[in-house]
Amino acid sequence: MNHRRIAGCLVAAAALLLVAATDKPVTFDADETDLILSHGPWPVEMPPDPSNRVSGAPDAIAYGKILFDSADISIDRGRSCATCHEADRAFTDGKPRGGGIATVDRNTPALYNMRLNRWFGWDGKSDSLWAQSIAPILDARELGMTADTLKTRIAQTPTLASRYRQVFDTPINDHDAEAAMVNVAKVLAAYQETILSGKSAFDWFRDALAAKDAGGIAGYPDTAKRGLKLFVGRGRCDLCHFGPNFTNGEFHDIGLPHFLGPSRVDKGRYGGIKLLRKSPYNLLGAYNDDKLRSTAGFTRHLRLTPKNWGEFRVPGLRNVSKTAPYMHDGSKKTLEDVVKHYSESPEDRLHQDGEKLLKPLNLTTAETADLIAFLRTL
Amino acid sequence: MNRLVPASLASMLILAAAPAQADHCPTDKLGAMPDRLAEDGTAVAWRTNPAKIAVNRPFSIEVIACVDGEKQMAPTRISVNAGMPMHGHGMNYTPSEKKLAPGNSTFDGMVFHMPGKWQLTFDVYEGETRKRLTRNVTVRR
Repeated sequence: MNHRRIAGCLVAAAALLLVAATDKPVTFDADETDLILSHGPWPVEMPPDPSNRVSGAPDAIAYGKILFDSADISIDRGRSCATCHEADRAFTDGKPRGGGIATVDRNTPALYNMRLNRWFGWDGKSDSLWAQSIAPILDARELGMTADTLKTRIAQTPTLASRYRQVFDTPINDHDAEAAMVNVAKVLAAYQETILSGKSAFDWFRDALAAKDAGGIAGYPDTAKRGLKLFVGRGRCDLCHFGPNFTNGEFHDIGLPHFLGPSRVDKGRYGGIKLLRKSPYNLLGAYNDDKLRSTAGFTRHLRLTPKNWGEFRVPGLRNVSKTAPYMHDGSKKTLEDVVKHYSESPEDRLHQDGEKLLKPLNLTTAETADLIAFLRTL
Repeated sequence: MNRLVPASLASMLILAAAPAQADHCPTDKLGAMPDRLAEDGTAVAWRTNPAKIAVNRPFSIEVIACVDGEKQMAPTRISVNAGMPMHGHGMNYTPSEKKLAPGNSTFDGMVFHMPGKWQLTFDVYEGETRKRLTRNVTVRR
């Protein structure tokens, strides 16, 4: 055997080893399996919101959809909720920062599975979906209305006025402007509660794993399996992105800049808690339809600390591949950028006063691809 | 009569200055408490509701605290808190206290919002003196 043939054999052997390595079936141990199963089953049960008396009511849902799409609830009749929350873009707008009349400071959140949230808005300034729905109506940069203009507009639009009467058994003119605005927000919430994502490729795999269905398990791509292994393992992504909706619904500082410009800072959760506490629309207030305040415990016990500065809500990850750009400020254009952020977490930016949670993952190119492959299956 | 007034005032002042009769902690309820800690004459026993703490779900904790060793007296105050020392953060919520009896309170609104190792902290006050007792609790997803 000459040298050339030996070299050829070695190359062939190396190639075989490489193939064997990449084709090695991806399996999960008992701990990993438990963690994976905890991300389901999907869908989860979603009972009506007790703080909203029209939650789940078909006529309210239908009215909410009409209002969601209606430019009549913007001051210049130039835009609607659907302008920024576009149904064919996973109910977001594809822009770094949203805006109606003017650009706002944060990325437009996708609306899928919003019903499962505990807090609403990137800073959690609202504790119900209906209270959060008031914010863009009143924001001068978004729909730019006031409670009075909203009431007048609906009263003067026969189709909207008659629907209002049908849902609330009272003409809108018999309600004061603020009560009417809260009612409008409650039907908008009733509609948004129906915006739910379907069963994903991950869910089918998860169910197959639960059922020990070898065929179903094999049908999930290996690259996604390797990414999932990273997600629940070394990546520790599921410390915050856990449960069926892949979020704890709480707030963390992940080392993104706080500055909105030379002299403006986004306070994040710190500002959100302050806004929530003084809001007349929070769950401790008069507009909560649940007299027992059964869902107000989180608001009642909320704690404001300096660490809340620059924290933002952990978003759910279902449909994440359809909701670019990412982060509260829309600063990450792609999932690759997001994974790179965690792979190279700026430790000098973190760990000053806040959590010691993030550490650079130092992912390889292959690991990055695997993690993204997994995220695309959600 | 004029002489009696200062004497009455003096007796009232003495009464006000005398230490209040200290209460015993409710030792009869200790048997119902599945978890206990004791250190240097201070003891706490507690139970959570629900019994198993679920990640990111609110729970309450009933605490009995005793000070002064074998005399088993009730402390002047108890507080409960928790944090994740390895992550460098506490809870996002401040529990509210309902006093059930001297040395016996329930704290509502506790939430462990992340999985992992939490440290439950009991601060037991006897006057200005604080005794801190801790217990590690692991919460899974």
